[in-house]
Amino acid sequence: MFRNFLAKSIFFISAAMFILMMTGCSATTRDISTDDTIHYDENYDFSDKHAIVNTLVNSLVSKPPLATRDDRPVLIVYGVANRTSEHIETDGITDDIRQEIFQSGKARFVNKVQRDNIQSESAYQYGGNVSAETRIQRARQVGAEYMITGTLRSITKKEQKQIRLKKKTLQYYSLTLELTDIQTGLIEWTDSVELAREASKPIIGW
Amino acid sequence: MLRWLLAIAIYPCYKLWKNVLGYTENGYMPDMMKSSQVVRPLKCACLLVCLLSIVISGCSAKLNKARNAFYNGQIDEASGALSSRDDVATRDQLLFYMEKGLILHHAGDYQGSIDLLLNATALMQEQEVISAGQQTASMVTSEWLTDYKGEYAERLLVHTYLMMNFLILGDHESALVEAKQALVVYDTYPEACSADYFTRALIAHCYESLNEINGAYIEYKKLAELMPDPVPVARKLCVLGNRLGFYDEVEYYQQFLPEPELNGNVDSGAGELIVFVSQGKSPVKIPHNIVLPPSIRFSFSTYENRSGYITPPAVGPVSGAGSSDIVTSDIGEVLKASLNERLVQVIAKETARVVVKEAIAHNIDDDNVETLVRIAFFLMEVPDTRCWETLPAYLTMIRVPLLPGENQIHVNGMDINAALPQIDANPGNGPFYHYSSIRNGTGPRHSKENSQSAD
Repeated sequence: MFRNFLAKSIFFISAAMFILMMTGCSATTRDISTDDTIHYDENYDFSDKHAIVNTLVNSLVSKPPLATRDDRPVLIVYGVANRTSEHIETDGITDDIRQEIFQSGKARFVNKVQRDNIQSESAYQYGGNVSAETRIQRARQVGAEYMITGTLRSITKKEQKQIRLKKKTLQYYSLTLELTDIQTGLIEWTDSVELAREASKPIIGW
Repeated sequence: MLRWLLAIAIYPCYKLWKNVLGYTENGYMPDMMKSSQVVRPLKCACLLVCLLSIVISGCSAKLNKARNAFYNGQIDEASGALSSRDDVATRDQLLFYMEKGLILHHAGDYQGSIDLLLNATALMQEQEVISAGQQTASMVTSEWLTDYKGEYAERLLVHTYLMMNFLILGDHESALVEAKQALVVYDTYPEACSADYFTRALIAHCYESLNEINGAYIEYKKLAELMPDPVPVARKLCVLGNRLGFYDEVEYYQQFLPEPELNGNVDSGAGELIVFVSQGKSPVKIPHNIVLPPSIRFSFSTYENRSGYITPPAVGPVSGAGSSDIVTSDIGEVLKASLNERLVQVIAKETARVVVKEAIAHNIDDDNVETLVRIAFFLMEVPDTRCWETLPAYLTMIRVPLLPGENQIHVNGMDINAALPQIDANPGNGPFYHYSSIRNGTGPRHSKENSQSAD
């Protein structure tokens, strides 16, 4: 009697689990605010980018030399070197830094990325197809006074092997940004942001 | 697919169980066992075993087709055989990424290779979570039903090929990212991976190419300590040691330099040609069985070599620029060490599986049913022989110092002597590296090259 009941119970529980397994995989989507802080794991994500960019740009525009200059000096942004152990598109960081500084009204930027296209367009205009009155004047580009560079670094520590149900990881990031006077080679401003977080994930899943 | 097979299995298992339990509880007579109520589920169980066998063999058919085409020199056909990841079973996805990633590397599609191998690394991270469902299913069936996670050395070699791809494409920064991930694998499985000198030399080069000379020096020094003979890295240790001011260590490593370089001219200056040479076929896993009467079957696999002696490669030298440094990994030995490291785990799992199967069979009271169940368990106990089969037997990194201007270089000592396209070393200010990847010994030989100045 008991065994019959046990066999039936196991069968129906298995069937119920199977149905749940099949139906539990339905796809869902929802919009989230880019200002929200969301971390799925210990790795670098868009929330980190926001935190890094905001802190560093606030520091840059509120301290000399940009804070004491009213003539909107011309800057050029060189890439942030990725020295982490993750594939991170640091172009996203530099784009955001440039945009935030630009919106602060404290500086102007040379468009380094589009130099080849500018050169190409300039050559086209002087190729004989464009009227002399409407084509641009050559040798009128503005030279940058300062250069922005940076380095993103990370340190990862994983919990030692031991009997446990969850595995913990400690992740540390730091981004150092520098503003260098191109004429003198002097670093006129530098600051860094640090982020550290601990995350854990289960060792056993379904 | 596995889920559906388990779903199919639920019903016959339930019926079988019910009847067997009913028999023991109510004292049914043996003629009951002859009825269709028992025979049908048993037939279903046998059918399931057959289905499992077909699925196991069928899903690897395309992988085998791609491997055969690759070794016959038909790279495009090999790539085409694995056109999409649906071509292989879900549990073999990692093998799909590894095999196709390597095939595309030798086809010269380095970006395609990167995309696939990055998928492999993402999958390896996902697989760190142990699947309770798969492990439970494998306890009464076979290891073939679990996701293939790759041997420790194979996981390291995924990063190795990513580093090579990124370096050839001139993306030194991403190569360094992979180098750091490879170091994590080294730290996690030191015994299994320590003999992979090629990968560690590549890691050191990734640091060096971005002028991270302290990191490079540390890795070269580790390599010198691990290798039986530190000669291949002595020149680098002297150059970097001098820059870092480690003069006492430079003095030590100078004894390993060839005579002409002892005077201090160890850095030729204009840049380096770096050739990655793949030779032969890596060993593959072959099945072994130990049968204990009446029906206990222990199954396991070991690596068996497929390549005999292979002539070591040599490049150059370019006259006057110094001798070349050669670092070789015997991939077969690394893979065997890797499997040995996992040996305790394999034995424990195999023993547990035998105990579970024996316990299930032992608890069936009817001799006929028990015999059939034992036969089914015996047949299902198939050793897992999955492995990354397109790997070479040997991976060699050759560094040749270049002279300013045009350099004419030949690769010697392989089945075919290959002349690399003329390399014009005019590096400007940054370090200059020219990369080539060559495979020979098995038919296909592709040479792709790219010159990069790592600023």
